[in-house]
Amino acid sequence: MARLTPLCALLAGAAAMGCGGSSSAPTSPGPGGGGPGPSPSLIASVPIPENYGIHDTYVRDGVVFVFAWNSGVMIYDIGGAGRGGTPANPVLVSSFVTSGGEVHNGWWFHNPVSGQNRYLFIGQEGPGIVGSSSSGDIHVVDVSDLAAPVEVAFFHLGDVGGKSTGTHNFWLDEQAQLLYAAYYNGGVVALDVSGTLSGDLAAQGRLLANVQPGGPGNTYVWGVQQAEGAVYALDMLSGLWKLSSGTLAPLGGGNNVAERFSSDLWVQNGYAYTGTWGTRGTVPGNTVKIWSVGVGSPVLVDSIITPGIGTVSDVQVSPSGTLLMFSTEHGINQGIWFYRLTDPARPILISSYLVSSQSLGVHTATLAPYNGRLYLFAARDPSGAALLVFDVTALDQ
Amino acid sequence: MPRPPSRSARVLLALLLCGARLAAAQDPWVRVAAQAIPSYTFVNHVPGGGNLGEARIVQPVLMAHAGALADHLRFVGTLDLEGWTMPDGELTPGAWGEGFIDRRHPHTYFHELMLSGVAPVGGADGALRIGVSLGKGFAPFGSDDPMSRPALRYPVNHHFSQILERAVLIGAAAAGPVTLEAGIFDGDEPEYPGQWPLIRGRFGDSWSLRLTLRPLPWLELEGSRARVHSPEHRPGAGTDNWKWHASGRAEGPLLGGVAYAMVEWARTSEQDGFFVFHSVLSESAWSRGAHRPYVRYERTERPEEQRLADPFRAPRPHLENSIIGMTRWNILTAGYGYRLGARPARLQIQPFGEASCAIVGSVGGGIFDPASFYGRTRLWSLSLGIRLGWDIEGHRMGRYGVAAPPMNNEAMSMRMNHE
Repeated sequence: MARLTPLCALLAGAAAMGCGGSSSAPTSPGPGGGGPGPSPSLIASVPIPENYGIHDTYVRDGVVFVFAWNSGVMIYDIGGAGRGGTPANPVLVSSFVTSGGEVHNGWWFHNPVSGQNRYLFIGQEGPGIVGSSSSGDIHVVDVSDLAAPVEVAFFHLGDVGGKSTGTHNFWLDEQAQLLYAAYYNGGVVALDVSGTLSGDLAAQGRLLANVQPGGPGNTYVWGVQQAEGAVYALDMLSGLWKLSSGTLAPLGGGNNVAERFSSDLWVQNGYAYTGTWGTRGTVPGNTVKIWSVGVGSPVLVDSIITPGIGTVSDVQVSPSGTLLMFSTEHGINQGIWFYRLTDPARPILISSYLVSSQSLGVHTATLAPYNGRLYLFAARDPSGAALLVFDVTALDQ
Repeated sequence: MPRPPSRSARVLLALLLCGARLAAAQDPWVRVAAQAIPSYTFVNHVPGGGNLGEARIVQPVLMAHAGALADHLRFVGTLDLEGWTMPDGELTPGAWGEGFIDRRHPHTYFHELMLSGVAPVGGADGALRIGVSLGKGFAPFGSDDPMSRPALRYPVNHHFSQILERAVLIGAAAAGPVTLEAGIFDGDEPEYPGQWPLIRGRFGDSWSLRLTLRPLPWLELEGSRARVHSPEHRPGAGTDNWKWHASGRAEGPLLGGVAYAMVEWARTSEQDGFFVFHSVLSESAWSRGAHRPYVRYERTERPEEQRLADPFRAPRPHLENSIIGMTRWNILTAGYGYRLGARPARLQIQPFGEASCAIVGSVGGGIFDPASFYGRTRLWSLSLGIRLGWDIEGHRMGRYGVAAPPMNNEAMSMRMNHE
């Protein structure tokens, strides 16, 4: 079932790959990479202070939010904020450090009910012991004026099972005004984010649901996504879960990835793509697993193993559903990998972009359409932390 | 890939040797000492399971101590060549720090470069002596560097009980048996042997205090406190360490030989107490004639970091403040050395054997499982080697100027020759 990434595509720095089935010999746009298909075109590289570098990016309506740890959230205009920026020339609009720093991820809420684009939810990733405890709150920032963000509210989950908890990645059901947040050992939470947000959200009874899908000692949720009529949560310890929207009641899955720690997920077109992290026993996190997520529990149908990496740090499918992208860290093949989803159950390698070993790899990458083209915003790790912007339109065919 | 010897390292070596020749002919004094330990270490088990044995030249150092102006001005310089002889570290179960795990990291080439001014207050024989030290070296905190202690094996608590290789400014005062030191320094620890402390933006972001009492000639009591900003992230985004340390040290004649004993306790708290690490260590040695048995017991907790494809390395620079677990190491080490040749002599040749048994267990949760990672929780190591030294014995490392132990100021007399 598991397939290896074609060996010839793994040769770091290879300029011409010429793998079987290749219609061309692509050139590598960066320190290394390549593949049988078109290459991503690097159009911008924005240095970011190395206060742990970038952890995530959120892109919407021509605005890029860069979540850069103790440098805070950095808001760039690429055409939507009226500062003359473009994807090839992002222009900094403002930056803002939420209480406590450790700015990790975010979601710009476009509320279809109120019609406002007022709130930016920011995840703080405090210290933790992976698999056991975590810390960090959800911060709510009013970005009505992108040039002058103001923190207005926060959510703190508190201890679960005697251990502190902290948030990680988000998904927002905007129509229902529900924020789903992965909360590591705290599991998954669903928050009511309707109306005006101010002060302590927990004290206002906005916590609607909280579940530790793997149970005590077996829950450390990395990411969550609402798709296909359910909420999917990927637990580093217990694997992929299917939860009910709103109540978060487990519907299926779980305890289905035993040999590796899981990481990020993406669900689209009836399939889930899940990454792996670190080393479990002696098995490295070098795999993207492919699941069928129709009726019932997720069913593993295939996997992609990429030698020479230690972690799959981010996974996403393009809005068209034709391009699978994942970012990787900790090895000679660290960087960004692109697969064609002609058959969503059987991705085909088309290209890669590898980064220098001076960096630890690419921490996250975000596909975002803008003005008829598809861009990728990638967070290159220190040393040499930077926001890399690629035009990947040619790969999304 | 070992980095090539830096030009500045070669210049320092030349300066040390030239300085020795010049000073030897004048009133100012200088003493040069050197050490190297060719050794073979075998470990059962290493990360991933299985056994591993390695031969290395460890702790190769060239030292110069100098004084001038009636000893009001003093210099300590130590060139450490581990970056050349063991660029991938020394096999040491339990050791950690500076991106190495279960290997002791090589130190920087310029281990110490300290200049000190010392002045008596109230006349030449004033009861109070004050001093200032400036340069690269140890912050006034904790116990002597393990390099100047009996065992070859570095303790797990090295980064809890010493703060070294920093750009440091120290003020000190000594009156009778009491010495107080206060220092400011850069919090960042080195990332590779050729790296210098980061001065711009970091110097002065950390501080330490050390109070030392010497109520008896053979007894030394010490207590230290420090705040170290972002030691593991050079640009400064890492967590702060709040450190406590206390120790008692005794050295003197016993049963026809010379005995040494030290007991220390250390506590390091990070991220406002989210992580707390404790350590207790006791060690002793006894020298009589050519014989020198020694023993150490240590109980220390350490952070477990995500490892790279090389299981002895952790990602640097850091990207976040999480760890994958904490482990507690109980380690018993025993060794025996036999000195060759006539005594006293400036040249030291001491073959030795040293064995350790470490028992490792998880504390505080997390995904790190020592049993699955090492294949067992009881780890053995055996080292055989020869200590080669020139005027090295008796030297203690980590204190300067007013606070320097009398042994360092008067001579690098050999500890084993104190019978």
